[in-house]
Amino acid sequence: MVSIDVENLELRYRLRQKLSFAPTDRRIPTGGRIEAAGGRRYVTALDGVSFSLQAGDRLGLVGPNGAGKTTLLKVLYGIYEPTGGTVAINGKVDALFNINLGFRREATGRRNIELRGLINGWSQDEIAARMEEIIAFSELGDFIDMPFKTYSQGMAARLAFSIATSFQPEILLMDEWIGAGDPPFQEKARARMKQMSEDAAILVLASHNMALLQSTCNKILNLENSRVKWFEEADTYFG
Amino acid sequence: MMKLVRSAFTDIGHGIRMRRVWMALAQEDIGDQHRRTALGPAWLLINYLAFAGTFIVIFGQTAQSPDYPAYVAIGLFVFFYMIEVINLSVSLFTREESFIKGTTLPLTVYIMRMTAQSAIRACYAFAGCIALLLLSGTPVTSFWLFSGAGLLLILLATPAAITVFATLGAFFPDMNFVVQNITRLAIFLTPVFWVHQNEGGIQGVFYYWNPLTYFLEIARVPVVAGEVPLRSFALCIGMTAVLWGLAIFCLGRFRKQIVFVL
Repeated sequence: MVSIDVENLELRYRLRQKLSFAPTDRRIPTGGRIEAAGGRRYVTALDGVSFSLQAGDRLGLVGPNGAGKTTLLKVLYGIYEPTGGTVAINGKVDALFNINLGFRREATGRRNIELRGLINGWSQDEIAARMEEIIAFSELGDFIDMPFKTYSQGMAARLAFSIATSFQPEILLMDEWIGAGDPPFQEKARARMKQMSEDAAILVLASHNMALLQSTCNKILNLENSRVKWFEEADTYFG
Repeated sequence: MMKLVRSAFTDIGHGIRMRRVWMALAQEDIGDQHRRTALGPAWLLINYLAFAGTFIVIFGQTAQSPDYPAYVAIGLFVFFYMIEVINLSVSLFTREESFIKGTTLPLTVYIMRMTAQSAIRACYAFAGCIALLLLSGTPVTSFWLFSGAGLLLILLATPAAITVFATLGAFFPDMNFVVQNITRLAIFLTPVFWVHQNEGGIQGVFYYWNPLTYFLEIARVPVVAGEVPLRSFALCIGMTAVLWGLAIFCLGRFRKQIVFVL
């Protein structure tokens, strides 16, 4: 049974004074609370976060910038390791964070599909099985065998979107709703995103778009200053 | 301690299982570096031959040794490989920042990608090195196998060295410039083109206390002198073990913290 159980999650890390000859350390974290203890500075990015999701749940993450939404998504995905509490996940987690990450300018579109597939952990058979579908969805035609650097911005975005959304997720994490391309492609992209979010057993979506969250999610977790402000049914939150 | 070691081996095991990723990316890296050039990766061979040829011609006359071309050919090949690995590894995690912050790929993938890339690049210089050895009339003997074992040991030490320097570079950004300056000087402080004659003095100090010396010797002495430098082999095995110990410590202790310091 696909599920997510987060209990008293804490993510606290030391803001290291970099060992540098530079006179001052100008690094500033993008969010969280900065606290000093014993001459050291710590960032508490998540503090006491608890929630449970079962198959069928669509969780909307809301809150101001720096509240901890992206950090929470990255903890669920496994990029950040919690420093306290527990995160128990049953099911395969896929994420749509930065879909443009890692494209090789000199490689062809086809080669980029292979490389992205490998990075995503797909087998050779899975890559082969998805190749034609990705090419067809991206509408790149013969350009698929041209170097990525020759693509227009729209073509590059269509390829990135087509690869990123070509899997069947059990648990899908999204940092904002993604779209790509010109108006006709955007319509196609919207339909695929809707289908993906419906097919996933669990969806966790961080967004500032309240209308989107209201139409997509059944639960809302409101983060503020690294803590949970509310966790409730979407109907109650928007009601 | 066991938790730390387990954490490191989890990363290594996961990285090895993803070998198709880092091998493919390493091949792409090499292709990209030379994509727009007419000669492609053959430039790696030309660079090596230009350096080795210059050293052999300029210093060969004063060295007054018939083995000098072989001495320089192997010395430069090993030295260039090690210096390139050290220089590039210091900024490895910084270069991979967007991947480290955006994917769950284990750090070993980045480490092995760089190892594979350096090994592929070295293959071109290796072809030049073999050509120089044959052209200079160096006899092919069974001792070449020991030289091959020496090169394998250097290759074995490479991922460990990359891990240690990459971790240092992530926590200590100035390390980039420290290493660059040291490696620029290293060619003069390592017996790459000068021959140590057992005299003391400052040259003797650099000969005996420079760890690179011993990695050069395990690849060079069997071919040039027709003997196995057991002491150098023992020291290199020891240094490789220490490097791997440090690498496992770095991976186990810092692999989940690297993402926060980039």
